[in-house]
Amino acid sequence: MDDVIAAAGLAFRYPGAAEPTLKGVDLRIARGDFTAVIGGNGSGKTTLCKAFNGLIPHFWSGEFSGEVTVDGVDTLDASVAALSHRVGYVYQDFGNQLVRPSVREDVAFGPVNFGLADHRERSESAMRLLGIDHLARKYVWELSGGQQHLTALAGVLAMDPAVIVVDEPVAELDPARAEETYRMLKRVNKERGTTIVVIEHHAEFIARYARSVVLMSAGTVRWHLPVREALGRGEELAEHGIPAPQIIAATARLIPETDVPLTVAEAAQGIREAGLEPGAPVPEPVTQPPGPVIARLSGVSHGYRDVHSEVSTVLDDVDLALCEGERIALVGSNGAGKSTLLRLLTGLNVPRKGTVEVDGIDTRSVKPARLADRVCYLYQHPEQMFLNDSVRQEIAMFPTQRRRPDAESIVEDVLDRLRLTEFADRDGRTLSGGQQRRTTLGIGLAMAPALLLLDEPTASLDTATRNDVIAMLAALAERIRCVVVATHDMQLVAEWATRVLVLGKARVLADTTPAGLFGDAELCERVNLVPPQISVLGRELGMHPPPLSVDAFTAAFAPALAGGR
Amino acid sequence: MARKQRDVLSVEWVKLELLRTAYATRGGLFTVFDPRVVIGWYLVFAVVPWLTHNITVLAALFAATAVAVGLCRVGPLVLGLFAFGLVTETVYLFAVAWFFDGDLHTVAALVTLSLKLGIVALASMAAFVSLDPEKLSDALVSMKAPPLLSFGVSYGYRMLPIIMDEFHTIVDGYRLRSAPMERKGFLAWRVPVHIGLTLVRSFYPMMLNTAKRTRTTVEALETRGFTFAGESAKGRDIRLAYLRMRPRDLALLAVTAILIAGAFAAGELNPLFARDF
Repeated sequence: MDDVIAAAGLAFRYPGAAEPTLKGVDLRIARGDFTAVIGGNGSGKTTLCKAFNGLIPHFWSGEFSGEVTVDGVDTLDASVAALSHRVGYVYQDFGNQLVRPSVREDVAFGPVNFGLADHRERSESAMRLLGIDHLARKYVWELSGGQQHLTALAGVLAMDPAVIVVDEPVAELDPARAEETYRMLKRVNKERGTTIVVIEHHAEFIARYARSVVLMSAGTVRWHLPVREALGRGEELAEHGIPAPQIIAATARLIPETDVPLTVAEAAQGIREAGLEPGAPVPEPVTQPPGPVIARLSGVSHGYRDVHSEVSTVLDDVDLALCEGERIALVGSNGAGKSTLLRLLTGLNVPRKGTVEVDGIDTRSVKPARLADRVCYLYQHPEQMFLNDSVRQEIAMFPTQRRRPDAESIVEDVLDRLRLTEFADRDGRTLSGGQQRRTTLGIGLAMAPALLLLDEPTASLDTATRNDVIAMLAALAERIRCVVVATHDMQLVAEWATRVLVLGKARVLADTTPAGLFGDAELCERVNLVPPQISVLGRELGMHPPPLSVDAFTAAFAPALAGGR
Repeated sequence: MARKQRDVLSVEWVKLELLRTAYATRGGLFTVFDPRVVIGWYLVFAVVPWLTHNITVLAALFAATAVAVGLCRVGPLVLGLFAFGLVTETVYLFAVAWFFDGDLHTVAALVTLSLKLGIVALASMAAFVSLDPEKLSDALVSMKAPPLLSFGVSYGYRMLPIIMDEFHTIVDGYRLRSAPMERKGFLAWRVPVHIGLTLVRSFYPMMLNTAKRTRTTVEALETRGFTFAGESAKGRDIRLAYLRMRPRDLALLAVTAILIAGAFAAGELNPLFARDF
């Protein structure tokens, strides 16, 4: 089998960097493979992939040594332009990769630039293959995130490259759209024989779609193995910040000797064959009666006017009460109205119909700045919250401008609690993703609100940082009376929330508990949610209510294991 | 005072209006013509007013461009800004003329200038509201403008919604996190000062956030052959293949010529010279 990518002794140091980012990489990727590149933050994954399309060393000049051959061409001899016929790259922030106003123009941008006479056929067939041909005449800013991602992919595909590199598709997309992207990549891989390389944190996607896995660590390739073997090395993966998929962790505890399962069905079959059955269901913990109401929505309808002057209905006659002591997860696909609901609670928008009350105050009667004494809203992208020059100023902004008498001690306390003291004088924009997220949590904490609203707090974080944020959210509970999180992260929902609101079709489709949501297969299907794998596995094996964590799952098998031995 | 959802005169509205204007979503008269002809039409009305002092001619040209603006469905934001500029300028002219002891002559001379500027402004509104960024950049390419300029224009349009979004987010951040005004002050003078300060303070974070996004764009341009296209003519030919002069384009040119000739003829018959007073 011939290799489409071959790197030998590849080393690279960015200009001005003290340490090389890549140190002696040797790697061969077979033509037609579907490879996942994994590794912790800063392990050199992205740099490696940029060496494939010649951006390194041609665009980013630095210290380069070793040899990279792509589709038979030495990248050092070829220009970036010549290499772009062989390698396509879809960025993590793919929206910025779209440079033309309309979808059709953008997809055809590459072929037209290179003067390919069949540019029209190329772009049409790329759009058809990805199922976005009906969007051809749309402007790129009209598209949803998932559609933008497919447009970026189509633009790359129109060049008909031998290799397509996709950088962390799940980071900016909701899981259902990411799934769509993966299905499309699989189709491209199958129909055109294109080699696919993805950079990915989520072991569940790797298990289902990749055929081989490259583990990067400290600028070198640790190993390159077939997917089953790679995911079987659970401990080694966890060391590098990639926890094994829940079903692999669970089966490893119950039936350590069997093959690593890649799907829920395989795992369920393995457990059944081993003769294991779950014990009696653990009764659901008695839920605390809800405390006093913090926020109330009565008959709320809201919508936005679009560029064609049509008013969309995002929320339609919604009644809700959010109570003290609740940890509420707001779920639903993109555009279901999660952010709108949060904005209505902050008073940034007031409803077209109905009333929103926070702490007994009608949001129509006061300005959002006044309401901010009671409500805090943290954006999805931390850097959009940075208005000042240092972390300390960001956190101090609210208490000092409002002349809180103990402003200084509040700031010191928050910096200390969130482990930000050492970055306190740095500009928030220069911090890593996890540190930025902690800074925004600090901003929220210093506002000491009754109601804290968070938009996607765990998106695009690697697993270690993510767990850190979840732990911090749990710790916030003692200071803040009610927390609402809008999220696509079902593991966060399972591990953290006490109440789940499912939004869809401009209404609240379900108001339930995590176990109630994940135990109802029909509901999950209807609102397009993918429960955590462990809950699906539990359901498959007849557990009701379904387990929400691997520990809860294995605990249910404790009697069976004890009896068997 | 109860607040309510506002669909006009809000940041959101300004954003939508700019997008509607830039992307010609309202349709309108000139969208069906060859973009080169539309640019030509605009250039004619941008030059001709400077060739005369005859107020009759200028008034006729003003009327023609005003009708064009109506047919092109220019949005309320742009039109409102134009009207605001025109009205304040007129008031200012009269005030200055009166203050410096001028008479009707002075006013007439100043009105000539206002009319000329008005014509150019109206013509540019009509033309550019009807050109979406694709057509505009293709027209520039075909008129042999430097590739960087035509790309800059089309990329500028691409950036517009991004900048507006960043701006909106940051203004909202200020609305939530900065202290509310305690008192509005005499004649509410603190309100515009507060708004002004917020706008100025928003600029730096907005530009930083926008600039951060462009790094990917620059890399993507390189890998998608933008530099390559600058050096080869093939891409250019493909891109412009669809531009074609049709009878309706010639008709537009003819109508324009007749209108201008008509304006000058009317001026001949019924002259009102600013300098003859």
